[in-house]
Amino acid sequence: MADVNQSMRRINGSQAIAESLMQEMERDERVVLLGEDVGRSGGVFGTTRDLFDRFGPMRVRDTPIAEMSFTGMGVGMAMAGLRPVVEIMFVDFLGVCLEQIYNAMAKIPYMSGGRVPMPMVIKTAGGNIGSAAQHSQCLWATFAHLPGMHVVAPATVRDHKGLMAAAIRSENPVIFIEHKELLLKKSKDFLSGAEVPEGAFVTPIGKANIVRGGSDLTLVTLSAGVEYSLEAAAEVARDGIDVEIIDLRSIVPLDVETVANSVARTGRLLVVDEDYLSFGLSAEIVVRVLERLGPGALRQIQRHAVPDVPIPAALSLEQAIVPGPASIERTLREMAAAS
Amino acid sequence: MKLNPLNLYRMMTRMRAFEEACLEGVPTFEIHGELHTSIGQEAIGVALAHALTPEDAVVSTHRNHYHALAKGVPPRALLAEIFERETGLCRGRGGHMHPFDPDRHFSATGIVGASLPVALGYAYAFKLRGLPHVAVGICGDGATNHGTFHECLNMAAVWDLPLVCLIENNQYAISVPIGEVTATSTISERAAAYGLAGETVVGTDVEGLTEAFAATVRKTRKGGGPSVIEATCYRFRGHYEGDHDGYRDRSEKKRKRAEMDPISRYRDILIARGEGDAEGLAAIDAEARAEMQAMLAEVRSDPQPDPSGALDHIFLEEAR
Repeated sequence: MADVNQSMRRINGSQAIAESLMQEMERDERVVLLGEDVGRSGGVFGTTRDLFDRFGPMRVRDTPIAEMSFTGMGVGMAMAGLRPVVEIMFVDFLGVCLEQIYNAMAKIPYMSGGRVPMPMVIKTAGGNIGSAAQHSQCLWATFAHLPGMHVVAPATVRDHKGLMAAAIRSENPVIFIEHKELLLKKSKDFLSGAEVPEGAFVTPIGKANIVRGGSDLTLVTLSAGVEYSLEAAAEVARDGIDVEIIDLRSIVPLDVETVANSVARTGRLLVVDEDYLSFGLSAEIVVRVLERLGPGALRQIQRHAVPDVPIPAALSLEQAIVPGPASIERTLREMAAAS
Repeated sequence: MKLNPLNLYRMMTRMRAFEEACLEGVPTFEIHGELHTSIGQEAIGVALAHALTPEDAVVSTHRNHYHALAKGVPPRALLAEIFERETGLCRGRGGHMHPFDPDRHFSATGIVGASLPVALGYAYAFKLRGLPHVAVGICGDGATNHGTFHECLNMAAVWDLPLVCLIENNQYAISVPIGEVTATSTISERAAAYGLAGETVVGTDVEGLTEAFAATVRKTRKGGGPSVIEATCYRFRGHYEGDHDGYRDRSEKKRKRAEMDPISRYRDILIARGEGDAEGLAAIDAEARAEMQAMLAEVRSDPQPDPSGALDHIFLEEAR
């Protein structure tokens, strides 16, 4: 955990990732970074800035556009004793290299009977910022459905740094999904967790974060959904609706306990998920809470997610289907009115 | 390189006897999935065994048993893994297509086209650390039409990595003859597209192949860059045990098995050279068979994995 005496500064999400990579690569020479435009350009979102100059081309490798092979190369590197961080520029592109991700990276620890660790991170960017159907998805539930991978999606700036360090130090494979909105957001605009310690620290993977305490309703979300929900919660608070917001941080492992403890108090559950609705995170959360608390534990259940449609290009259409501050606020008011 | 002919012969017969022991597990359902054997491709295993050090890496395919044996994977643990036992190399979790031996830097994949990327990662790690090791990525002729073949040879070449791409060209991608899906007359000539020298060798001539492969590995090990070597051979059995194999003429199979059996070819050569006699070589055959049969009998009395452990090893336990 963070040393409380460390000096804190406000930085933004992409700086936090770059700083974490820099510190972990300093700390452990086995850490290598590879991907498209991670070197000379410092990453299309700036998350790998300054690393090429500091560590050189063998540890910070600009690859050709060959995702299947350089992802498999990461698998081989991990088996050879390195700790690769493979960047796949957009999460949508993981389809190109899914074979190596779910058949090799995720399964080798199991297939080897626990003999082969897989200390590998796939860092990628997801989320909606107007990039339409092929550059906007989140897909975390897709990877959570496939066994053998931890799936992490940070929300606060602080967690961008701490969770990345945890992912790199883990012996297990991690899909690390950054949100483009959070990578581009200015530090001063964050509602939560933009104060970040300067030195290296680890935020444990698998422990949810209660970012706002409340008594009326439990709102479970992650990634950019946390900032959107904080905005919405501030609005409805004026009308006396007191929302508790839980940032899951990771969906594998899933911290059901923190969610269930909150729901046991509030009796009302809203899941806000920027991923697709069906067969996804929202249903999983609801079922796990019911399994833990019993089928009668919830007075209200609501799911707010992308309704099983490719992401459209036009802003008017995107806003109609993707959860944002306004739609979350609307959902909260509807729930309050119906209760 | 000084080769010991009787050792070469013995290695090939042991490999075949190992594979024949595996065949016995199919009708009994002790191996309850498909089984891909390499019978007819023994010379390639011998070549690997001669050229590689324990620190070199091999990433193999769905047809991997000889490569594992060549890399020094313990036959007893490998056979037990193939027979799905708790005593197996991977405690029965991997099975015959997915053996992993991290101590010997051996692994395999059941996905065609997926071996070279992993081998590339080993090669990169060796270069990064300045180690004198090579990574051998093995693929069949079918895999050379996968995008990874192009991607990996390009990356290996441009970064000058110690990767040896070994192509086992057994002439069929399951049922599809190579000539119907591959435009060039050899596969190795494609190496030129990456600025590399490729070589095609007769993969059933154990001495010639062993020498050629050792020379290739030596060149790559000494910093000569990646290599592409294609070994021609013939798959004696179906793609998997149970394959009806109606896509190859009976007459073709009969003829090829006679012409392209590396063991009987070498037996004739040794006898002709006076380096062995029929009786002595038959004794080597019998010894190999007896060894593998004894191992099989042991494996058959090994326990299957305890069902209560089915969820073990999904993630590694971590000390925090």
